[in-house]
Amino acid sequence: MSAPAEGTLQRVATFLAAFGIGVAAYIVIAEADGGAPACLAGGSGCERVAASSHSELLGISVALIGIFGYALLLGAALLRGDGPRMAGFALALTGFGYSVYLTYLELFMIEAVCQWCLVSAVLMTLLFALNAVRMVAYVGRPS
Amino acid sequence: MSDDAAGKEANRQRLLKLASAAAFLAIVVVAVLIVVNETQTEGGDTEIEGAAAITGQLGGIPQRGLVLGDPNARVTLVEYGDLQCPVCKAYAEEIVPEMIESKVRSGEARIEFRNFVILGEDSATAGAAAIAAGRQGRGWQFVELFYRNQGFEGSGYVTDDFLTAIAEGAEVPDVARWNRERRSRGVVAELSRTTAEAEGLGLGGTPSFAIAGPGARGLQPIDVESAEDLKAAVERAAQPQPVGASTVDLLLALRPLSGAGVLDPLPDT
Repeated sequence: MSAPAEGTLQRVATFLAAFGIGVAAYIVIAEADGGAPACLAGGSGCERVAASSHSELLGISVALIGIFGYALLLGAALLRGDGPRMAGFALALTGFGYSVYLTYLELFMIEAVCQWCLVSAVLMTLLFALNAVRMVAYVGRPS
Repeated sequence: MSDDAAGKEANRQRLLKLASAAAFLAIVVVAVLIVVNETQTEGGDTEIEGAAAITGQLGGIPQRGLVLGDPNARVTLVEYGDLQCPVCKAYAEEIVPEMIESKVRSGEARIEFRNFVILGEDSATAGAAAIAAGRQGRGWQFVELFYRNQGFEGSGYVTDDFLTAIAEGAEVPDVARWNRERRSRGVVAELSRTTAEAEGLGLGGTPSFAIAGPGARGLQPIDVESAEDLKAAVERAAQPQPVGASTVDLLLALRPLSGAGVLDPLPDT
């Protein structure tokens, strides 16, 4: 099975990364002044996760770090060449790995699920898949 | 394959190897982030607020175990609470202090905190720590200070560091002993007993209150929405019951649940 055209992979990754920036930005804004994102189906999952000590890393909001990560992925999706291909893959793998860890914390440590965090985890998973295909199929080949 | 094609393929293989190294680096970065996150969750200084205010609120009132007030008071008010419960925190800050000031300090009533664990393992851990603090005469300081510094239920804030900071803020005299006792079988058994007792009384949530006294038949659950409700309940329970009052019921209601039962004499403090 042949891989999708690189342009298609880049366009989808661009959309997902931009969407991720939006989701992470919403979480940052909602958490400002001690608030929490609104869970669409009600419940206190988002509040519990936002209040958790795991919502910050070295005093920096994890969602803010997420914005930075999605912005880098957006840059990698927009640029051509082997550098962006490999950088996008490494960044997406990092984001995917940490998302898996955060989802584990939600399910088994905090015992609450924040839908916004879950959306971000799904986006990061898709971005990892796209960047992995792009890197394996196109690295070392002309753009 | 031409030299040009072979060269491109060799370059591609080199880049794929480089990508493998990048993948390894990414995994290492994730591992470092996880370690940093775990370390910040476990450690760090915990700032506790309200210790001075609680010292003032409870100062001069005798206490033993989780019972606050005169051991000879005619009325015993029991609060069934879960230390992680936000409504309990609201009651502890807005309703109970007035009751303590007007009825407990005057010797009309004593108040006992009994753990009713409904919010999971962290609540049990916190409740056990409160019981252990009570064994050193600082139970109420611990409970009140915990409420004032309460985090979001189940968010993982009930760490050893947090509990130790509360114990130190509550001025538990021997923190090492407290640390041992809060994990002891007796303390855990007391948690189970009080929780089972609350369920046996048919209490649906926390905080719930029950009262015992000459005007109450046994330990009677009461509805409390304000400090006035509490004070009125104490006044009613203080009046002798005209008919049918059972001494046995009263004694059963006041039976000790721990080493420091409400009928035990208080030490001179």
